[in-house]
Amino acid sequence: MRFTNPLKRISKSENVSVFLVLLFIISAIILVEFFVVRSMNIAKVAFIKPMNVSNVLLQVSVTGILALSMTFIMISGAIDLSIGQMMCFIGTMMAFLIKTARLNGGLAAIIALVVTIMFQLIMGLIISRTKLESFIVSLGFLSIYRGFTYLITNGREITTEGKFTFLGRTYIDLTDNFRIAMPVIIFVVLTIFVWFLLKYTKFGRRVYAVGGNENAAYLAGINVKNFKLLLYGINGVFIAIATMVQLSRLGTGNPLMGEGKEIEVIAAVVVGGTVLAGGKGNAWGTFIGVLLLGIISNGLNILGVNPHWQYVMRGLLIVFAVSLTYVSSLRASSINKPIKEGQ
Amino acid sequence: MPESLILEMKNICKAFPGVEVFDGFRFDLREGEIHCIVGENGAGKSTLIKMFSGAHTPDEGEIYLDGELVKISNPSIAMEMGIQTIYQEHTLFPYLNVAENLFVGNEISNGIILNRREMVKRTQEILDYLHLHIDPLDIVGQLGSGEQKTVEIAKGLVQESRVIILDEPTSSFSQTEIDHLLDIINKLAASGISIIYISHHLEEVFKIADRVTVIRDGIQINTYGSKEITEQQLINDMVGRDVSLFYKRPKVSIGEVKFEVKDLSGNGVNNASFSVHAGELIGIAGMVGSGRTELAELLFGAKKADSGEIFIDEKKVAIKTPLLAISNKMCYITENRQKTGLFLQHTLDKNIPIATYSQTQMPFAMPREDVRISQKYIDALKIKTPSVFQYAMFLSGGNQQKLVLGKWFATNADIFIFDEPTRGIDVGSKEEIYRIIVELLQNKKAVIMISSDMPELIALSDKVVVMRGGHMVAELKKDQISEENILKHSIGGSI
Repeated sequence: MRFTNPLKRISKSENVSVFLVLLFIISAIILVEFFVVRSMNIAKVAFIKPMNVSNVLLQVSVTGILALSMTFIMISGAIDLSIGQMMCFIGTMMAFLIKTARLNGGLAAIIALVVTIMFQLIMGLIISRTKLESFIVSLGFLSIYRGFTYLITNGREITTEGKFTFLGRTYIDLTDNFRIAMPVIIFVVLTIFVWFLLKYTKFGRRVYAVGGNENAAYLAGINVKNFKLLLYGINGVFIAIATMVQLSRLGTGNPLMGEGKEIEVIAAVVVGGTVLAGGKGNAWGTFIGVLLLGIISNGLNILGVNPHWQYVMRGLLIVFAVSLTYVSSLRASSINKPIKEGQ
Repeated sequence: MPESLILEMKNICKAFPGVEVFDGFRFDLREGEIHCIVGENGAGKSTLIKMFSGAHTPDEGEIYLDGELVKISNPSIAMEMGIQTIYQEHTLFPYLNVAENLFVGNEISNGIILNRREMVKRTQEILDYLHLHIDPLDIVGQLGSGEQKTVEIAKGLVQESRVIILDEPTSSFSQTEIDHLLDIINKLAASGISIIYISHHLEEVFKIADRVTVIRDGIQINTYGSKEITEQQLINDMVGRDVSLFYKRPKVSIGEVKFEVKDLSGNGVNNASFSVHAGELIGIAGMVGSGRTELAELLFGAKKADSGEIFIDEKKVAIKTPLLAISNKMCYITENRQKTGLFLQHTLDKNIPIATYSQTQMPFAMPREDVRISQKYIDALKIKTPSVFQYAMFLSGGNQQKLVLGKWFATNADIFIFDEPTRGIDVGSKEEIYRIIVELLQNKKAVIMISSDMPELIALSDKVVVMRGGHMVAELKKDQISEENILKHSIGGSI
């Protein structure tokens, strides 16, 4: 039986539960703000103001870009903890190239791209050629990048002196108070790209195969080692893009510009339905996951929740969202009882 | 000497949803004797051990220990009773040292603090007693596999076991290691410990056994004193199924040589040479651990060969990776479909086309096309599933096996390597798989089939190659294929 009914199809989609959580959170924030904070004056509800919406989108886009490539990596059964510190390293390096070495932005960007890919490939080589866990190898690289960052900056910011603003500070004004920032466009375009890659290319199907069962993937003719290497190369491209966007937005190479990003990114990817063990996940799930976490922070801010409580609530929501995926997978397994053969 | 019975089994019955059934099984073990159990693959030896060790409980029947009725309902009870089982796989802690391993769960302490010195001293005594040149502080993972096995035996001594069960202890041992182990076993028996010894190697059996029990299809066929029996008699007892129950396959005309291997070595296989014609099925027989799967891995490029040549359609080919094997139209249906065949957490339409991706340069995958292809093979192979979007893990064993076949049929392969194609699936599905294999032959495919299932091997094969210890020890033509002949070559002591 094929799914012909579109509603039925949607209800079977992998992203249903996380999407419902997103809707729930959005409505909850709106309702609480409307009834409790703004004493039922709809005009004052800040959360749904166009400016706020465009802000949320802008705030999540760097995390989002990183989350997309993390989705690849995690579907393939690996993880990369070094992305946050790599952003610090590459970002400050670019700022250094622009300010101290007086390179123009384009050239600095190309160098950054090459360096990022190179380091990712080194890490990929180690992970794919040995049996070492990606967790621990990337943890090592995390520290290496931290060191590089301080060697470059001595712990101080390096400004880009107003250069290199295109990626982070270009906007398209749709109405007077609703504008779409370049980072948002990049994030959405990359999401579509990754969705297409994962769904409509052999490469994408193989990401799932490698993460689902590495042995079977190898016997199905996939050169698993080189494939993993390729994944890290692609990861490098995404990290480089995210770093450039971040640097361009901040206008300064801050040694903490990527601090803690890896945790944010992994949380978003997992909330979006990718499993740590690999083999499962998709681009739109990650997109929603990123949005969800961004909206939670933003909403709690607007509601005036003490920032210290925000951590607690965000943590609870992550656990809640993930357990929801678990519940829906249980439901799936009770529907799909094994079929007995023979009769 | 009064032969007091230490263990006795009466009327044991045990049924599984799958195949193996024990029916009215009897067995007894005397004090200080070495009792060997022999039988074909799948005769029920492992199940028997598991009933002694508490991993399985019999459905019916009684087990007596020292004449008292006991129930061995879990492994810790068996240990308390002094029954120590040493499985084929190592069950030691590789990162702990010998002394720590010996005393795991039996630590000597003053209540809080471990008395390491005492444990090391006791370990040394036991090692000396067994004439083992191992230091109690050696890390177990760094010992050879023969030494590790003796450490496991030493563990039985610490626990003051009265019965030690050894399941295929010598697989992958060198001759000196085997001799050494047999010495230790003799020594233990002389000190009054009873040994149950399970082996595929009749040579070893004749060296150490006091008595031998032959088991076939869960039935105790005979128990002999080892002096009063010949190898031939044992083999006769092990075989002897009702031939009329065998699957009957239609005859297929055999074509040109399709696939040929010359002197292939590596991965534990030595100088394998054979050829398969189009429309021919060559069976590969041998006991578990004789190098059959290792050979298949070499053929498919999953493991690297040290030397040797492979020819397809009389052209020499280099098959260094599975990818090259696939592009040479080969496929490999592995022994363990869950571990190396399927993507269990993926749907059928993601499982079936995955190997076809290795055949094109096209970068794109078409979900719609994948679904169409999957549906085609689901229909052709009659895979029972509610839809093509079902997850592979929810299929039954037989249907999972067909799913693996579907994956390879989709690549339109010419040379099929099957490793245990019907393991763990029910009789109805077995017949369907056989029908599919025969269809392959009728379509001029060449088939190489590894199987431990004698009836299937005999019924389907045009030719049988027997492996033992990584060597091809015999090639049997159609009229020479019999259970007895196969068994003689795969376990016989001297041929």
